[in-house]
Amino acid sequence: MGIVLDRKELIKYPFLKESQQLARRHVESLEEFLGSSPGDAALERAKERVVAALTFKKEFQDENTQNLKPELEIASYAIARLLVSCVGDRSLVDRLARYEAERASFFLAAEEPEIRRFVAWSVGIDTGAAAMPVTRYVELVPHLRDRRWRLVNRDVRQGGVNLEPGEIDELIRERIRAIIADQLPLRVPAGICERLAPVTGEIAALQQQQVLEQFGEVREEAFPPCISALIQAITAGTNLTHMGRFAITSFLHTIGMNVAQIADVFARAPDFDPDMTMYQVEHISGRGGTEYTPPSCATMRTFGLCANRDRDCERVNHPLSYYRLKKNIKKKRS
Amino acid sequence: MKPATLEFVKQRFAEYYQRQNLTVPSSLEQREWGFIFFDAAAEVRMRRHMAFADPEELGAYVKSLVPAHVYYSTAYYQTPSAPTMNEKHWAGADLIFDLDADHIVRGPYAMMLARVKEETEKLLAMLTDELGFARSQIRIAFSGGRGYHIHVTDIAVRGWGSQERREIVDYVCGIGLDPAAMLAPGGGETESDLRSDRAGAEGARTGWRRRYVETLRAHLLDLAARDPAEATAYLAGLDGIGKRTAAEFLADIGSLAAGAPEDLLKNRVVRALTAAPGFEERLRDAGARADEPVTTDIKRLIRTPGSLHGGSGMRVVPLDIRDFADFDPLVDAVVFGDRDVRVDLKANFATSLLGNTYSLDAGIRNVPEALAIFLCCRGVAEIAGGA
Ligand code: SF4
Repeated sequence: MGIVLDRKELIKYPFLKESQQLARRHVESLEEFLGSSPGDAALERAKERVVAALTFKKEFQDENTQNLKPELEIASYAIARLLVSCVGDRSLVDRLARYEAERASFFLAAEEPEIRRFVAWSVGIDTGAAAMPVTRYVELVPHLRDRRWRLVNRDVRQGGVNLEPGEIDELIRERIRAIIADQLPLRVPAGICERLAPVTGEIAALQQQQVLEQFGEVREEAFPPCISALIQAITAGTNLTHMGRFAITSFLHTIGMNVAQIADVFARAPDFDPDMTMYQVEHISGRGGTEYTPPSCATMRTFGLCANRDRDCERVNHPLSYYRLKKNIKKKRS
Repeated sequence: MKPATLEFVKQRFAEYYQRQNLTVPSSLEQREWGFIFFDAAAEVRMRRHMAFADPEELGAYVKSLVPAHVYYSTAYYQTPSAPTMNEKHWAGADLIFDLDADHIVRGPYAMMLARVKEETEKLLAMLTDELGFARSQIRIAFSGGRGYHIHVTDIAVRGWGSQERREIVDYVCGIGLDPAAMLAPGGGETESDLRSDRAGAEGARTGWRRRYVETLRAHLLDLAARDPAEATAYLAGLDGIGKRTAAEFLADIGSLAAGAPEDLLKNRVVRALTAAPGFEERLRDAGARADEPVTTDIKRLIRTPGSLHGGSGMRVVPLDIRDFADFDPLVDAVVFGDRDVRVDLKANFATSLLGNTYSLDAGIRNVPEALAIFLCCRGVAEIAGGA
């Protein structure tokens, strides 16, 4: 596509190859850059990005008036990626990816048609088509929760999925999110992480606080039956399948328990092996960089983990929603 | 199986593998293989993590060891013979569907086979007409037991994880259907088309939007045809529906069923009906009953076409879409002959095979070799001495 975006435009889409090239021309050595005063400015802005991501900020307009040089603005995107990679928590990574995608999507909505087309094309989406090949579509939508995105609810004919007006924009946003999320976490040299430690420390603290505020204190009596069953199985010394361990660990991590607290749950097993447990828990809670979103009810069912389904289960399709629902009911009553 | 029976079956299998080769999957060197042997002593255990560099090596292995069951991975691996999944390095997988009569109906073997064939036909139609997979990328195999396997080898699906595959299998099974999306107006045509020619617009409905409306209409009409007292009682048993509402609804049901799909959901009783298990069952019937976990599992072993199924003695028959309609497993998957073999049948048994119907009483009798293999493999007969 014969389009050249200028620097003002590139700052809106820092994930584009073109943007990265621009920033790279400016930053020769990361170490040196981080020690310089432009580096400080970019780091400050990077922290803003991550904080905005954590606090679900949805206002992007003001960023246009930032008087940071475009190169530094783009560098701040790259540094934000370093920051979340150094923290190493998958949910933080997901937040940043979501934030960056929403930000780009916000600018795209008001963008010139050819630029919009170019950005979409860069992430592999053709904005001109009213239908998308099935094989492409199913690669885009798995993380979109709303049931209207499920292939089964689409108008599918002859290998194409018809799209309603406006849906393509949502797909572009999701695609950008997925690309960014897939790239992270980066392997950052330990020296760089050390250098960033003051900022990553602040971010980790903010995230912990966020999680606590979102789910409040952990209340075992609000756990969905499947999770209680897993805990009972552990307590009884049953060997869980990999999926079972994964389900319980990712669930507990998401509702705000830290690695040590989760290990305590596993310690209820008679043949508890602390090293092994810590290793697995850390791995699942995101240190290894793999995905750790807890499985949905559908997946739980597939793996035979949906045990003791009760009435409240009918109102949810995710064990996390069950937990949230139950906690709210309990809160109102007490 | 008694030793004599085992010997008999194994010999026949050996003879088969002398004259017939397996159908070698694409990228053979990237596939993992697994075998179960006729060793009566050991409990059933699979020897897996095997790999073969070329068809000759594979053929020689099967000819000399004569396995009871032969499987290969639907996945492609960099190092298929590595002992753990991580070391194998997954490099993609075919898209697989498993239709197994055991999960669909119970009954005589021939009936189960006929039913599962219908399901497979529905699935094939959805894969080609709706999802757009090329016929040339679809391979069918009779499983040798009670069903069919569909392999989609399209390069576009290879890299898919479980989530992408779940979208597809949910589609073919009709899982997660949203009534509002199904009954919404439109079928790809414009608003004015819809207003000017309702019948035409409805004809333009395809896929699940058509199946859903048809299923719902049939459901309503069945309800209308039922004994009114019974129908009222059923409706009044649904969540939030009283006797009075139910009766009023029944009086109206004919015109409702004939009306526009998008009006159906405005009715409270219809909403309750669509959420009830009876209707969900019907929707599952409108879809194809594929076994979901098989499709979402990206590291599965599957029976090799061209091999024999040790639990039935039938051939796992590779099929082209073109040949599927005419395929009759009870004839076309039978590879053994008709010389007499003396067997001791443990119980009465009825089946048809190679065009003949058999109704056998328990006890010692002579049966054609093909039937003897079938009975011995199924474990309902042993070879009788003195033949
Ligand atoms: S329905 Fe969902 S929340 Fe309820 S037990 Fe099953 S998996 Fe858990």
